[in-house]
Amino acid sequence: MATVKVSEAEKVYILHGIRDDLRVDGRGCEDYRHMEIETDVVSNTDGSAKVTLGHTAVLVGIKAEIGKPRPLVPDEGYLEFFVDCSANATPEFEGRGGEELGTELSNTLYKVFNNKNSIELKSLCISAGEHCWVLYVDVLLLQCDGNLYDAISVAIKAALFNTKIPRVHISSDEEGTKEIELSDDPYDCMRLDVSNVPCIVTLCKVGHRHVVDATLQEKACSVASLIISVTQKGTVTCSRKVGGGSLDPESIFEMTEAGKRVGKALHAPLMNLLQQEESLGKKRQKVGFLG
Amino acid sequence: MLKSKTFVKKTRSGGVVKIVREHYLRDDIWCGSEACNECKQESTVLQKDACIESNLCSFPHYLVPDTNVVLHQIDVLEDPVIRNVIILQTVLQEVRHRSAPVYKRLKDVIHEKEKFFYTFTNEHHRETFIEREPGETANDRNDRAIRVAAKWYSQHLKSDKNGLQVVLLTNDQGNKNKAEESGLLVYRCEEYIKSLIANPELVDRLALSNDDKNEVTSSKVLYPEHLPLSKIQTGIKSGSFIQGTFRASRDNYLEATVFIQKEGDDSTEVLIQGLQHLNRAVHQDVVAVQLLPQNQWVAPSSVVLQDDGAAKDDSVEEGEEEKALRISAAEAARKPTGKVVGIIKRNWRPFCGMLNVSQIKESTRHLFTPADRRIPRIRIETRQASSLVGNRIMVAIDGWPKDSRYPNGHFVRSLGGAGEKETEEEVLLLEHDVPHQAFSQAVLSFLPKLPWAITKEDLAKREDLRQLTVCSVDPPGCTDIDDALHCRELENGNLEVGVHIADVSHFIRPGNALDKEAANRGTTVYMCGKRIDMVPELLSSNLCSLRSNVERFAFSCIWEMNHEAKILKTRFTKSVINSKASLTYAEAQMRIDDVNKNDDITKSLRGLNKLAKILKRGRIEKGALTLSSLEVRFHIDSETHDPIDLQTKELMETNSMVEEFMLLANISVAQKIYDEFSECALLRKHPAPPPSNYEILLKAAKSKNVEIHTDSAKALADSLDMARVDHFPYFNTLLRILATRCMMQAVYFCSGMDSDFHHYGLASSIYTHFTSPIRRYSDIIVHRLLAVAIGADSTYPDLMDKHKQSALCNNLNYRHKMAQYAQRASVAFHTQLFFKSRGIINEEGYVLFVRKNAIIVLIPKFGLEGTVFFDRKDKNNPNLVFDEEGPTPKVEQHTFHIFDKVKVTVSLDDTNIQHQKIRMALTDPVIPGVSVPPPDVEPQAKKPKLDR
Repeated sequence: MATVKVSEAEKVYILHGIRDDLRVDGRGCEDYRHMEIETDVVSNTDGSAKVTLGHTAVLVGIKAEIGKPRPLVPDEGYLEFFVDCSANATPEFEGRGGEELGTELSNTLYKVFNNKNSIELKSLCISAGEHCWVLYVDVLLLQCDGNLYDAISVAIKAALFNTKIPRVHISSDEEGTKEIELSDDPYDCMRLDVSNVPCIVTLCKVGHRHVVDATLQEKACSVASLIISVTQKGTVTCSRKVGGGSLDPESIFEMTEAGKRVGKALHAPLMNLLQQEESLGKKRQKVGFLG
Repeated sequence: MLKSKTFVKKTRSGGVVKIVREHYLRDDIWCGSEACNECKQESTVLQKDACIESNLCSFPHYLVPDTNVVLHQIDVLEDPVIRNVIILQTVLQEVRHRSAPVYKRLKDVIHEKEKFFYTFTNEHHRETFIEREPGETANDRNDRAIRVAAKWYSQHLKSDKNGLQVVLLTNDQGNKNKAEESGLLVYRCEEYIKSLIANPELVDRLALSNDDKNEVTSSKVLYPEHLPLSKIQTGIKSGSFIQGTFRASRDNYLEATVFIQKEGDDSTEVLIQGLQHLNRAVHQDVVAVQLLPQNQWVAPSSVVLQDDGAAKDDSVEEGEEEKALRISAAEAARKPTGKVVGIIKRNWRPFCGMLNVSQIKESTRHLFTPADRRIPRIRIETRQASSLVGNRIMVAIDGWPKDSRYPNGHFVRSLGGAGEKETEEEVLLLEHDVPHQAFSQAVLSFLPKLPWAITKEDLAKREDLRQLTVCSVDPPGCTDIDDALHCRELENGNLEVGVHIADVSHFIRPGNALDKEAANRGTTVYMCGKRIDMVPELLSSNLCSLRSNVERFAFSCIWEMNHEAKILKTRFTKSVINSKASLTYAEAQMRIDDVNKNDDITKSLRGLNKLAKILKRGRIEKGALTLSSLEVRFHIDSETHDPIDLQTKELMETNSMVEEFMLLANISVAQKIYDEFSECALLRKHPAPPPSNYEILLKAAKSKNVEIHTDSAKALADSLDMARVDHFPYFNTLLRILATRCMMQAVYFCSGMDSDFHHYGLASSIYTHFTSPIRRYSDIIVHRLLAVAIGADSTYPDLMDKHKQSALCNNLNYRHKMAQYAQRASVAFHTQLFFKSRGIINEEGYVLFVRKNAIIVLIPKFGLEGTVFFDRKDKNNPNLVFDEEGPTPKVEQHTFHIFDKVKVTVSLDDTNIQHQKIRMALTDPVIPGVSVPPPDVEPQAKKPKLDR
């Protein structure tokens, strides 16, 4: 994991600032940094989004492929996650350096997103027990500047919103053999309902208080953080503690409450933005990676 | 390129994969018109005064046909009258996608300079590219693209002073309306063609489009509807339908079989009977059939039924026609019977044939009778019927509506008067699907430039064998010499033998137009007095031909042998040779026999001959078959090109000398390329025939008390050698002819796709074709493989792709088969010409086969085979008794046996001008009611004789 070295004096400075609800970059404890979102950035995926949060940059691409449903849930499709920690993000990721982090991230993402409360998994089913859509969610870390979980989750939500799955029809003959037919109209697509897709809010315990969207420096001052995933309505769907230190029950409760509040506030403008972008359609000037 | 803009085009194919291709738009695509001064083009295609005289357009105009017009009316577009046409890239792509043959024809037209056809890459032009809109089908999008491009042209050429305009041709009403809305000049194709003042005959070539429903047809539906493809596919998957190739019967137009290829080699046939069940399938179509319940199965009828007489008024007579079938269907063995439910792939091509002129005067609708009896008659519309009578013409089928008795078609072109030599030769080539057009410019552009000479670099890469005494031995008059030989004694006492094959693969590089053309042609076709080359003449008769006293590139296979013809060393190399002599078989034979000659060439020949004899002996000991078929040669009159005499080909020692070394080279090369490329070597195999094939041979031999063993090739060869009958020297040859007929066809295959490599006839475990690259494409591939194997040339992807190889083999096998048929047909035609000039001849022959109602007689003198029928349609038949055991038919009092010597008269029967044939009639033995008197008694009676 990308880390920075912070001197004791700096730590004290950051700690005191947070105590007074004024962070080094001028934010309050529950404020996010500046965030940019663009969808449909990779043309050969079925859905993609790029999110920058401060200097953290992630790219998410979603590919839909036809697979076989899991035997336990024959009438549902599923998601697969893969996080690629590119050495572009930080030199530490070079070689197999990013592997551990990647696995950790993808396991968490799998827990958060691959369940029927987040996404209508049944809508991914093509024919029960035989065919379903498998969404391969590929996350690429382009730059690490703290708070990866939140950035990734926002990017995934945006990419899922953007995902267009080609519509297929099942035709079956008298014998009962089924065949998948693809519509020849490229515009004939299925969209996913993302209203229940949660966003992850990471709360870092710094001193006696907690902050959202911690920078690398702030992270260095924190001993433990809480990851919670919150839906649009403020429902917490998952929570997880990360970091070596401990959290007392009272602050966990406090942090959860704060997380719900922040999460709810995050969803509304995000959806707004996505819908706005969508309505521009083809006319939208794409920014891409050079903009 | 001034500017480029990237667009992304999304396509989805097959599975659910998203494919993204970059699509570059540019603004340096010019309009190609002479009248335009905006475009910075270097050369123009379209003329300034593009005039086709038309009632509708009195001004100069360019034509823009849409896809369907090109697909259906390519015959019209090919006409020299139609010029200055803009072919849009959209159209070109769609045509390519939908019909490969039309695409090829279109490309040829575009290449023709005189036609002024211009391809406009509208899909890459910044102003004419359009993206597919939501809810728009691919077809609608393409139609729109065509309209946008046409619109662009009309805007672009607006400034022209002569009033140059663009005319969009479409048959789609919706498209036409939309085009008119946007202010384009648009006509239906028929409308436009009919408006052409100077060329009314073009109208005949218009294909009938579906929407101008044929008035002739009654409203009654004659045939069941064909099922849609999707239903057929699911049906085939579930096993309720079977897919197969439709093969119409030659003798009975109401009967056909569907040939079903199953996994592996076994295949079955399904019988189809009756118009309803045949359901508009045409010979060679790929169809889906449904089996009938077993109680409706029938036996193939032995009745000969020809669909002749006047045009049937669709529904009426059917019942009667089919009654004839039913009677025979009641008896004997029944076969699986089915009905055609749908057509998977039509295999229509233009058919040769003749016109039956309608009895009604002034009528423009006529029936056309194809030369191939398996093709139904076709209804066409023409105003030039009177001038086409007696001519061979070509007609293409356009469609077969379910309420029409006959398919509808259109006139393509006239080939010339029936019975004329040129016409008939053309018909032969067309009917056997032999590509025989002149080589296109694109193909010729890949030929080496003349004067051609061997350069230093060439010499550096090749072994210099110019000093060797190489000579070639070929039939007289051969100009495409692809093999030459040498033999010399080495210092160590061994012999060095070299087979030098023309290095055609040096000139034909993989993948270019020349290569593709040669791959498509597959083989050179030798007709009587005419050769249809596989590669252009410059190569076949000059640069590749190993003529004497010129330096030529060769691919040499060189062995070191001891005097017992045992191979000690084999070596392959690309070389340069200089043949010292081009000999004919006879000349070579004379040199060998002439004891006074002792020059190098002769010594070399003697050495070769000696080794060849040893090789041959060895081969025969291993069980190679010596089979026989009679081949005839015509002496062609040098001026009229008519055959004046014919003789059977004579075989000399030198023939077998050359053959032996070619076999040896082929086997050596086959081994080498198989060792090197076990997956993708192109080899040739000859499967052992199934025992049932030999039945006729065994029965025939038994009738003369001769035993033939067919357990192995060796046993067969030995027993054939033993088979002799006293006072009947020709018996052995006849037996060998019969044995030849029992054999299977040898085929090319790719070593990675098959496991059985055995060549039965040559008794070799592996074989290929290496020695005739000028006339066979298979040899070119083998040359390339061998060149890669010895590091003399580089490889390319298709060469190593066993599936592509296998597809190529299929084409080569098909072309070889058709070439053989065409050659036979050509011989048959020349035989007819010969007998036409001779009148009736009385000749001695042998009974080769017997049938229930006929005997097939072979006349050795002419190598001619013919059928003598005992029964006739019109008159009361003689008393026929057929003994299955013999098999021997007994006619009145006389019993015929196989190999009986008979006397027959031979004459030309030209009652049916389309199917002129040799007619044989029995003169000896004399059987009342069957035989005819010898011709000298009654020289005048030509035809009436048989009707007595």
